[in-house]
Amino acid sequence: MIVNHLKELYDYRNLIWQLAWSEFKLRYKNSILGYFWSLLEPMLMLLVLYVIFSNLMRVQVEYYQLFLLLGIILWGFLSRATTIGMFSIVGKPGMVKKIYFPRDIFVISSCITALLMTIFESLIFVMFMVLFRVPVSINLIYVPLILFCLLIISLGLSLALSALNVFYRDVQFIWQVLLQIGFYVTPILYTIDIFPKNLQQFILLNPIARILNSARDTIIYSTPAKAEDLLFMVVSSIFFLLVGYIIFSRFEPKFAEEI
Amino acid sequence: MTAIEVEHLYKTFRIPHEKRTTIFETLTGAFKPPIYETFHALKDINFTVEEGEALGIIGENGSGKSTLLKIIASILRPSSGKVTALKRITPFLELGVGFQSDLTAAENIKIYATIMGMQKREINDKLDDIIEFAGLEKFRDTKLKNFSSGMQVRLAFSTAIQTDPEILLMDEVLAVGDMEFQQKCLDVLSQYRKDGVTIVFVSHDLGSVRRFCDRTLLLNKGEQIVLGDTGDVIDRYVYGGGDEAPVSGNQNEPEMAESDVESVESEDKNSRWGDKTVEITGVEFYDKFGNKGSRFNSFDPMTIKIFYSANKKVSDPVFGIALYSENGENLFGTNTELKNASIGYIEGKGHVDLMIERIPMITGRFLLTVAVHTHDQKPYDWHDKQYSFDVMPTGRDAGLFEVPCNWKI
Repeated sequence: MIVNHLKELYDYRNLIWQLAWSEFKLRYKNSILGYFWSLLEPMLMLLVLYVIFSNLMRVQVEYYQLFLLLGIILWGFLSRATTIGMFSIVGKPGMVKKIYFPRDIFVISSCITALLMTIFESLIFVMFMVLFRVPVSINLIYVPLILFCLLIISLGLSLALSALNVFYRDVQFIWQVLLQIGFYVTPILYTIDIFPKNLQQFILLNPIARILNSARDTIIYSTPAKAEDLLFMVVSSIFFLLVGYIIFSRFEPKFAEEI
Repeated sequence: MTAIEVEHLYKTFRIPHEKRTTIFETLTGAFKPPIYETFHALKDINFTVEEGEALGIIGENGSGKSTLLKIIASILRPSSGKVTALKRITPFLELGVGFQSDLTAAENIKIYATIMGMQKREINDKLDDIIEFAGLEKFRDTKLKNFSSGMQVRLAFSTAIQTDPEILLMDEVLAVGDMEFQQKCLDVLSQYRKDGVTIVFVSHDLGSVRRFCDRTLLLNKGEQIVLGDTGDVIDRYVYGGGDEAPVSGNQNEPEMAESDVESVESEDKNSRWGDKTVEITGVEFYDKFGNKGSRFNSFDPMTIKIFYSANKKVSDPVFGIALYSENGENLFGTNTELKNASIGYIEGKGHVDLMIERIPMITGRFLLTVAVHTHDQKPYDWHDKQYSFDVMPTGRDAGLFEVPCNWKI
């Protein structure tokens, strides 16, 4: 069944890409200025957070700008993918009601849109890396796996949210609140070391925390990712995807009637 | 070979009285089970469509035609039963699905063509043709929001017809657009027919159904009334054939006639006048099968029965009718005097019949005035535009009336 579905999705690869790419273009209003503004947003956020946390709160972290920026970009991806994904079904009633293709294509393509936007934003990060002359190492080979896990977790969440949002319209508000909370309980602004050991274990139950740590280790600090973290990531991304698909396929048959 | 197989298909919609759209409502209402109204959209539908065949689906609004089409297209799921499509299905339920007003014509074509199942290379090859066919060469890179709705439909249509369908599902696409566009649609449909594409065609335009469909399925309130040869099924639809029991003899006529008059009186005093020495107690329309009805195929015969009741002996009355279009234009009028059908005298109850050999109207609703008056135009009873009947098109000529004619070449 899973193999068949993957095959079907592969047949629809053009459609997935077309939907993702057109959404990407729409987000940036097809204009050069649009692209510029979208770079400005994470820059401003970085500036504000950097000023506050490095000067006023005196956070002592090596390459704190990069540490912060990577956190903002990766968390931004999760937040954006799930938000676009959440509206990917309810936002396209015309298509849902008038044509059939596997409904998860909407969600997958919206995650790809978010990915494209994040890749674009990452240009700033690369510029900062060069600017600060941060050495890179062979440890970068872990990066694709780490990012892939983040993508899969986002997809799983988006699948569940998009389906629930069709039936319960307050899901969108609840999720925005959860994302806000998530921003502070995930080590984006701070390192996990500021907490006592037992609390650290608790924070590390959040797979995004592990993903951020590993990404920072491998990209900024030239250290290999911890095997334990990688394993936790892979297992939890499979878990998220599975639960997401179960919820999605539970609600999927009624989409065209409910929307 | 069978292309589509529909077996014991049921579709039921549950419509809640009070719709719960939030988690909050669902939680607070957990102990109060929601009340549903069930609506049976389709009940036990069975049919097969052979490869290369064109099947028409007709029926009143709300008879389940579109629901059936959506289930075949797998947009909706059946409540029970099975639909098997053994070929690739291309649904034309709406033109321009997924059009984005902020993208350009070329970009929209790419997306729409992809949705319709075309391959990337095919799209790139045909892009220029599509734009040319739509007559929009100058607007290739114009955003769709700057297009008129006619241009958008043209763009959607020229893209849609580039697909290479195996099974085509068509729902009322022809209903939009002007004559020229409808003609284009019909041409494309003819081409698909010639190419052996299997077609399922839902339409109210009985003329097109008659022209294109080998067989036709008639639905009424979700039930499969009849499936068979298109001509027979359309007759059945138009004349209700057997749905209503045929009127037998004269026994129940006066009753019905009287109730008709009551409704007339309560409606409008201005639409009825006369001294009622002779009263018109009812008017009924009969189709070619002798069944009472108010819907007729164009070019079919019809009989108008005028029931009267004369309180005393009245000599030399004149019965007349006048036919109006829905806009109130007088189209035709005649009476017994003009047709030299002299009536000596009448007394008591009876009826006069107007036999129409061939209804020359093409389509629409027509209003009828029925009157009985004296030889010198003094009305006994005049029912002004109180009766109406509908004419369904059978051919493809345009306008209100058929003019008998031939082309000589």
